[in-house]
Amino acid sequence: MAEFKYIPQSEIFNCSVELSGAKKFYVLDGKPMGFSAKDGVIEIPSEGDLLTQVIFVRTTPHPSSYKVRIHCPAGSSRAVILCAHTTGTERYVTEESVAIAMEENSNLSLIVMQNENGASSHHSTFDISQKSSSTVLMNIITLHGGNIANKVNCNLNEKRAEAQLSGLYLAGGEQIIDTTVNLRHNSGECTSNQLFKGILGGNARTSFKGEVYVAKDSQKTEAYQANNNLLISDTARAISDPHLVIYADDVKCSHGSTVGSLADEELFYMRSRGISESEAKLLQQQAFAGAVLEKISNTEIRERLSRLVERRLRGEDTLCAGCAKRCC
Amino acid sequence: MENLLEIKNLHARIGDKEILKGINLTIKPGEVHAIMGRNGSGKSTLSAVLAGNQNYTVTEGSITYLGKDLLKMSPEERSWAGIFLGFQYPVEIPGVTNVNFMKTAVNEHRKQNNLPPLSAAEYLKMMREKMAYVEMDPSFSSRGVNVGFSGGEKKRNEIFQMAMLSPRLAILDETDSGLDVDALRIVANGVNRLKREDNAFVVITHYQRLLDYIVPDIVHVLYKGKIVKTAGKELAAEVEKHGYEEFEK
Repeated sequence: MAEFKYIPQSEIFNCSVELSGAKKFYVLDGKPMGFSAKDGVIEIPSEGDLLTQVIFVRTTPHPSSYKVRIHCPAGSSRAVILCAHTTGTERYVTEESVAIAMEENSNLSLIVMQNENGASSHHSTFDISQKSSSTVLMNIITLHGGNIANKVNCNLNEKRAEAQLSGLYLAGGEQIIDTTVNLRHNSGECTSNQLFKGILGGNARTSFKGEVYVAKDSQKTEAYQANNNLLISDTARAISDPHLVIYADDVKCSHGSTVGSLADEELFYMRSRGISESEAKLLQQQAFAGAVLEKISNTEIRERLSRLVERRLRGEDTLCAGCAKRCC
Repeated sequence: MENLLEIKNLHARIGDKEILKGINLTIKPGEVHAIMGRNGSGKSTLSAVLAGNQNYTVTEGSITYLGKDLLKMSPEERSWAGIFLGFQYPVEIPGVTNVNFMKTAVNEHRKQNNLPPLSAAEYLKMMREKMAYVEMDPSFSSRGVNVGFSGGEKKRNEIFQMAMLSPRLAILDETDSGLDVDALRIVANGVNRLKREDNAFVVITHYQRLLDYIVPDIVHVLYKGKIVKTAGKELAAEVEKHGYEEFEK
């Protein structure tokens, strides 16, 4: 996996890659462009049925700290994609806090795409609070970054709330990527499902700490948690620390965690068919990542991200097709 | 005619255990060879060494394929040069679809021959045609490689892959194991359709059963890592009738 080496071609930040049915917004160094922040909180705009794409760009090396809020009113259905980028090779430090409020029967599809330079530090906290029968489908795709920490606190506060959380982190070089998930089943009849996968090369270090907490009266809970890591170098290290804390007795819960390397017998089988070693390894890594990418329901975004993942794994620039390097 | 394959005094081991103890074998284009022997005689080791499985170490001897030193070639180079191994236990690769797997393989072969990659439509046409050789349902193409396939489906998939890659030398390692009579017939028909004057097959098996369908020109009996008897197709019938004992003295 190669280092991120993006340098913008322009001072004008304008993502040139079309995304069907989407409205784009920009946040430069924590300041929203063309929409306002209320009480210091950046409210992610809602544009009817349109997908809201917010591109967060870091341009100056000063630390940036900001708050974001995504509100899903009762009965609403929203789709949001948050892209995080750095423009140069300096060390950018970003502290981000995202509050997600899900009212009754609301539905949110949230994709978080992180693609920053190898010197950057980006810490994000996602606080999700869910009322009855609300559903969150969240995918965090970390393509690159120096020191990335994603913390997801998800509270299922009322009955029949559902959280589908997944993430893919690709770490090479000296990258450090930490993922923390605190999933609290505070009410019964809720469902949660976590799938976090990592591919590690170079001297990368990653950690996954996940806790599923099922409160005493949260009967009929269903909670599943999985973390799988694939090491493609001898010096990368993945830590996986899953926990289940269950106080209710009528629940279905499971968790699993693996750290492994590419399967030799698969590799030999592919090579015996004339697939070169490098291409065979790439196919294995793509297959590994596929389980997370498959969860992205928007076909266009899924294909774009799959392409970015492939480029990243091949050590190529992680640019979307048609990118004019004008925004990120 | 030039030899396709020439094995001389081949010794190979896995770990500390020597399994092949001096194999000599010459294969010419157009020939079908059968290698018979009990479990543990070295049949699968021979096929693994031919395909370049790095779990086995060659300690002595040589293998010349079309005039080249086969032992210096990587598994993929052997495939590009026309060697195909039908696995006794085909490997499951979750997450890689059959279509993606075979398309990548076919296009890598084409790249080696300076041919442009096949378009999606061209590939699909070729795939359908070759799947018909082994009566395989095209729906298998979208499934993970061998994932959830029955024993018979896996073996058919091997022959399908062989048809796609059109090898010069195919080694079929116990392709008949775990097959019922119908599947055996389908697999054998697939093999027979791929026979040409310029290619050769090595069929590795315990039993004569498969050799009723794929008729060999030459039959070898392998015992304790050596070929102890070589004769015409009648040898297979002899083995079937009397067992291996008389060759093991």
